[in-house]
Amino acid sequence: MNMLEINNLKTTVGDAEILKGLSLKVNAGEVHAIMGPNGSGKSTLALVIAGHDDYVVTDGTVQYDGQDLLELTPEERARTGVFLGFQYPVEIPGVNNAYLLKAAINAKRRHEGQSEVDAFEFLQLAREKMKDLDIDPSFLNRGVNEGFSGGEKKRNEILQMVMLEPRLAILDETDSGLDIDALKAVAKGINAMRSPDRAIIVITHYQRLLDYVEPDFVHVLSEGRIVRSGDKTLAQQLEDKGYDWVREAAIA
Amino acid sequence: MIAIAHELLEAAVRRMPEDALTPARKAALAHFATSGFPTVSDEDWKYTNLRRAVELSNTWLGNDIVASPESNLTAAAEEAVKAITESIDAYWIVVANGIATVDTMPGANDLRSNGVSITKLSQNGDVAAIIANDPMTSFNAALLQDGLRVRVQPSANPSKPLAFLFVDEAAQGDLSQARLIIDVDAGATIDIIEAHVSVGSDPQFANTVIQLRVADGARVGFVRIQERADSHMQVGKLIADLRRDAYFDYASFDFGGSLIRNDVAVNIMEPGASVNLNGLYLASGKQHIDNHTRIDHRVGPSQSREEYRGILGGRSRCVFNGKAIVHKGADGTDAEQSNHNLLLSETAEIDTKPELEIYAEDVKCAHGATVGQLDNSALFYLRSRGLDRDAAVQLLTRAFAARILAAAPIAETHAYIAQKTDQCLDALIHGDSQ
Repeated sequence: MNMLEINNLKTTVGDAEILKGLSLKVNAGEVHAIMGPNGSGKSTLALVIAGHDDYVVTDGTVQYDGQDLLELTPEERARTGVFLGFQYPVEIPGVNNAYLLKAAINAKRRHEGQSEVDAFEFLQLAREKMKDLDIDPSFLNRGVNEGFSGGEKKRNEILQMVMLEPRLAILDETDSGLDIDALKAVAKGINAMRSPDRAIIVITHYQRLLDYVEPDFVHVLSEGRIVRSGDKTLAQQLEDKGYDWVREAAIA
Repeated sequence: MIAIAHELLEAAVRRMPEDALTPARKAALAHFATSGFPTVSDEDWKYTNLRRAVELSNTWLGNDIVASPESNLTAAAEEAVKAITESIDAYWIVVANGIATVDTMPGANDLRSNGVSITKLSQNGDVAAIIANDPMTSFNAALLQDGLRVRVQPSANPSKPLAFLFVDEAAQGDLSQARLIIDVDAGATIDIIEAHVSVGSDPQFANTVIQLRVADGARVGFVRIQERADSHMQVGKLIADLRRDAYFDYASFDFGGSLIRNDVAVNIMEPGASVNLNGLYLASGKQHIDNHTRIDHRVGPSQSREEYRGILGGRSRCVFNGKAIVHKGADGTDAEQSNHNLLLSETAEIDTKPELEIYAEDVKCAHGATVGQLDNSALFYLRSRGLDRDAAVQLLTRAFAARILAAAPIAETHAYIAQKTDQCLDALIHGDSQ
């Protein structure tokens, strides 16, 4: 059974149809890269999987571990192991980073029938992971993303991912706006998550991140459909030939 | 238009025992006769209709009752008193149905030996200090049985805050008038808590006045906690006069009541004074909470900072009016005020009006108001991390309120206020999702 199986997915936001019959299969242990020009529907796909209610599914199915993912609320999806790393993480002043992390971990643990995380163990783990990602420990006590730079916000998303240990992680343009050091730190965090029972979908506009996170499959999204799939060499071809090459290929 | 039945009021004032306060009552009655209760045609009362308070007052006045000078609380009221006095470590003075029993107050000796004296207004004799210059303070003075006179001496050093608990119960008196006159002497430092609780499901109307005089260089921390019962009304007024270099740090929390109107009037009378006013109001159901503040910068340099925040659900209605007046010649005034509101339901309503009137030349003033709803992208972000909707709303509303909680003086009150805020938000959120 595929971990994630998307069939002929069509979605609208407002009056506009964004995804126009997208199909995709992802297995545990795989890393998929989804590439595509701006406006092709990459972020929409990520937000639909996470359950954002601005996006209306008009047709198609999304199965996750054999269950209908579209039936679940965003929080239920998160608790069963779906994680979205946001392209634009929200600043939430007044909500403490550590508090949110702990609340998120406990929501998942309760769902799994486990007791709440020990405060001391939590702090130790958070500090260790923050060190790996080169995040200042003082960030734990600051408001969620409050006053963070673009790079700090993305690292914070990766921190949440490694702390929550999702089964399916979708990273929406986590590489955009990062300098090379931040990119390496983020890539390190993603690579550390690779495991036989976890799937990762990396959404990116550029091939750059894929130099550090080697995908098993590369898909090209254009006009709301996956128009080409291949191995990592497809990313290099895209980089060399540009998206017009794919668009033309799709039309042909 | 329903008005107070004047002949009933006159009779009630006449029935009150002849004592040191009698001249003050009569003078206040004469003043009140010229105005009556404020109505919605008064600019300051445009959004707050006291019709039900007037009806209740007329019934009460017609019942020929004057509450006994010693007011005994029922078990339910005692419980309400305990709930707060056992949670906040302070010297508690209970004002029950408008009557303070200062003689039996625990810690009275302790306070006295630490430079704080509390006497009844009638015993103190200084009735000339009673302010009765507008309808509600006049109504209060006309029916005032007695009040408290508090003096904080320059050397005062109580180890705990001085706390006044106004407790009312509908069964004991539908109407209550309470008054405190507090003098903080030059150089003294004191923390003062004003708390309101009430019990009973019948309507009740309390009218409280606090006069505070902060002398040269004195510092006052002040926290108001209002958690009256669902069916109860209250009009309150705090008048604070600040002398040279005085510092007044105030925070107000409205959690309860059916109709609440709280006025804070700060007079900056000498240079160097500084005032902070912060407020949080949480309203649900059909609650009506009106906060009016007025800061008169009569001289400069002086500074005022004001921020009120409100979270509204259900069909609640709140009012904020913050007026800062910079008088002619009050150069060097630095005044900022803001009011921010979060509406959780489509039927909640806020009328907000920060006002600046500037008659001086060299001033720095700013004001602003916002009204908004919960940020959907923040809500989705939290849910995408596994928090259910209610928990996410609770977290976001709590974050919105956090600034005011953090700004409150008097550390002894913080845990209690935080707990009440959480309880109130919980009720607000769940009340709205039904």
